[in-house]
Amino acid sequence: MAKLLKTAIQAIREKGIANIVKELKEGEFVRCLPDGNLLQTKIHNIGGRVVGVDKFGNKYYENLDTQFGRHRWVEYGDKRRYNASQVPAEWHGWLHYITDHTGDELLMLKPQRYGVEHKQNFSGEGDEYIYHSKGHALNPGQRDWTRYQAWQPTKT
Amino acid sequence: MGFGVLALRASRTSSAINRCFSVSRIFANPSNRHSRSIASTPELRNAEAAAEAPQTQEIHPPRTPLAGARVHFPKPEDAIEVFVDGFPVTIPKGMTVLQACEVAGVDIPRFCYHSRLSIAGNCRMCLVEVEKSPKPVASCAMPALPGMKIKTDTPVAKKAREGVMEFLLMNHPLDCPICDQGGECDLQDQSMAFGSDRGRFTDVKRSVVDKNLGPLVKTVMTRCIQCTRCVRFATEVAGVQDLGMLGRGSGEEIGTYVEKLMTSELSGNVIDICPVGALTSKPFAFKARNWELKATETIDVTDAVGSNIRIDSRGLEVMRIIPRLNEDINEEWISDKTRFCYDGLKRQRLNDPMIRGPDGRFKSVSWRDALAIVAEVALQVKPEEIVGVAGRLSDAESMIALKDFLNRMGSNNVWCEGNGVRPNADLRSGYLLNSSISGLEKADVFLLVGTQPRIEAPMVNARIHKTVRANHAKVGYIGPPTDFNYNCKNLGTGPQTLLEIAEGRHPFCSALLAAKNPAIIVGAGLFERKDKDSILSVIDSIAKLGNVVRPDWNGLNFLLLHAAQAASLDLGLVPESDNSIESAKFLYLMGADDVELDELPSDAFVVYQGHHGDRSVYRANVILPASAFSEKEGTYENTEGCSQQTLPAVPTVGDARDDWKIIRALSEVAGVCLPYDNLAGIRSRISVVAPNLLRVDEREPALIHTDLKPDCQQKMSTEPFSSAVDNFYMTDSITRASKIMAQCSASLLSKK
Repeated sequence: MAKLLKTAIQAIREKGIANIVKELKEGEFVRCLPDGNLLQTKIHNIGGRVVGVDKFGNKYYENLDTQFGRHRWVEYGDKRRYNASQVPAEWHGWLHYITDHTGDELLMLKPQRYGVEHKQNFSGEGDEYIYHSKGHALNPGQRDWTRYQAWQPTKT
Repeated sequence: MGFGVLALRASRTSSAINRCFSVSRIFANPSNRHSRSIASTPELRNAEAAAEAPQTQEIHPPRTPLAGARVHFPKPEDAIEVFVDGFPVTIPKGMTVLQACEVAGVDIPRFCYHSRLSIAGNCRMCLVEVEKSPKPVASCAMPALPGMKIKTDTPVAKKAREGVMEFLLMNHPLDCPICDQGGECDLQDQSMAFGSDRGRFTDVKRSVVDKNLGPLVKTVMTRCIQCTRCVRFATEVAGVQDLGMLGRGSGEEIGTYVEKLMTSELSGNVIDICPVGALTSKPFAFKARNWELKATETIDVTDAVGSNIRIDSRGLEVMRIIPRLNEDINEEWISDKTRFCYDGLKRQRLNDPMIRGPDGRFKSVSWRDALAIVAEVALQVKPEEIVGVAGRLSDAESMIALKDFLNRMGSNNVWCEGNGVRPNADLRSGYLLNSSISGLEKADVFLLVGTQPRIEAPMVNARIHKTVRANHAKVGYIGPPTDFNYNCKNLGTGPQTLLEIAEGRHPFCSALLAAKNPAIIVGAGLFERKDKDSILSVIDSIAKLGNVVRPDWNGLNFLLLHAAQAASLDLGLVPESDNSIESAKFLYLMGADDVELDELPSDAFVVYQGHHGDRSVYRANVILPASAFSEKEGTYENTEGCSQQTLPAVPTVGDARDDWKIIRALSEVAGVCLPYDNLAGIRSRISVVAPNLLRVDEREPALIHTDLKPDCQQKMSTEPFSSAVDNFYMTDSITRASKIMAQCSASLLSKK
């Protein structure tokens, strides 16, 4: 505890009180009060090294001093509604210890021609986010099977 | 170059020379390994030896003639006997070897031979062996002689076919996978049946520039095998000299001599007769494969001829229309309008009942609401203010339902458009093509009065053309200037000429009087004229003068314009009053798009029941969607009095219903329920009114009542006859909605 306080005082001395308040606000530390998960991540962040930030604002941390298997983690960009599906494909491998290449390195290898944009899983978030298969009536991209062109009465 | 290769070449050339001079020598020399034999069957490698070898005489079981081929003996004493594969067959003199084989039940492969065209004999595919003949003979061009011994499955004949097939395939591209003819290609089928399994051709194939024949026929001229069927069809059946053969040898190509489109109303038939994929349908290109299609044998309704057609559909869509054989009506041709109108069935369709709101806009409603409103208005107006008009494409079932419904509402103002005022529905001979379409071939003088058969009924015109070609029949024509594809004398433009002929003052009278079977063809466009009774009485007197109507020959013909006309007159759809439109308060249009609605009172309530948003919908208050001819079962009577039935090929679009069902439902809502619930019921009702309509595919000739007609006191005007059809390609709601027909009228009619 004493060490924590000492680090805090040192940080205030280095950055100034205004910057610290700004940082606290940007990091949404207030959200930590009702959200224990976030608080734990924030505490875990101390001493961690930011390896990269993806386009959704997720920050990827690494701290080789901690227990092996807990040394890589993510702080989600969206502090209110976050889940594991928000991690894009290029960072998934790094985060899950599949590869040591970070997402930024992998993005450089990604061909531009194909690959859809990563989309988080919106299941249970309303009609427009529920997945409908290709032939489903509610799929907006479904084929038009009408084989005739109807007369349009508005032309009169 | 190594010595071995040189030796190889030398032996190749020597073997080629061998092949030229003495075929048997190479075959006898098994050590000559470089001459790769084309024959896939080992016994063919030594054809002569096999032929010489004593053959075990096989006893063939009697085979049935091909495709129901029947032999007609005009003179029994001219019958001759020939032997096909050892089996005796009796045929009349003058038949070709190929026809004799057909009668014997042996199918000879052929490309250039077509039974309805002249004989060319240039494809050589039909080679057969004839005993005591030094070479195989082309059976399509060889007349059969008495006692001829024809052999069709000997090694010599088989080898000849294989050789011909190899030459044909030499310059034929291997593009069957991208060819529209694939699957129904004669060359494909026959190369499987009679061809070899390999070819020796290693050079570059020739290629030919594609020709532009207009918006209907797509050409891939590299695929052409120069059978000249299309050239012969164009000159002999279509009667246009557009196509021809250019160049000779390997530079031979089919084409229009100068860059021009094929201006014939029968041009689509070259697609059917082309044995390969050189001429294919442009609108159908790359749309479907023929084995995916479901065929429905039905009837065409775009003109009054009632050509027999086959609608090929895939799923919900009509993919193409092709002709069906009917010797009495359309032989095996159909007009371009019939063949290519099908894309009109997919455009401008009415698919929901609609009601015009107070703001003048149409709103889709349910059937219940639409019928309730129509019935409410129909019950409010006076019975004599109710008027019904049946359209050009109506079937007999819906017309009798409309008439019954209106009669039960208390009105008898119902007619079919195109029949004119006060139509003659009493004497069937007064509105039918009495000598029948095939009977026109017996005529030797034609007098066309106010009709342009080339655009009104191309199939009838094809018959006249055939007759003119066959027995040099004379054709006289009275009417507005038009073009004919046979020799035709334009006698005049109006009733004045008609009077001159009736009084015997015209030079054409001598031809008419000298004729054995004179035929007068009167156009149905005259029915619309005010003075039609007097014109028809003049025509009657001409008929009497020329002895046109006899017990054995009725040459006084009326050529109708629309599919519904004959049946409507048979069913008695005759209006009670002449000017019912002017006083109508409730007008029921059953697909009628060509009625003059200018004189209709502005407060009249118009119900349009039909399948296309065409002319009349813009005046309608309520729209009831109905099914088109490709979607319903209906009876149509053609212009010669032959009743035929359509069959549904595809399901109806949207919420549309059959015509007679709509009227039946409406009658129930209006409280005057019609007593039939199904087609059998409505047909039993028809059998009371016009039983001939139910004798399907049978022509019911009209009885001759020349003296029954009342004398006419009407004054004849001198106004010349006008043409009944302005645009051949667009005559009804389906063809007017068709894009292909619009292209045709833009590119083909403007050229004239």
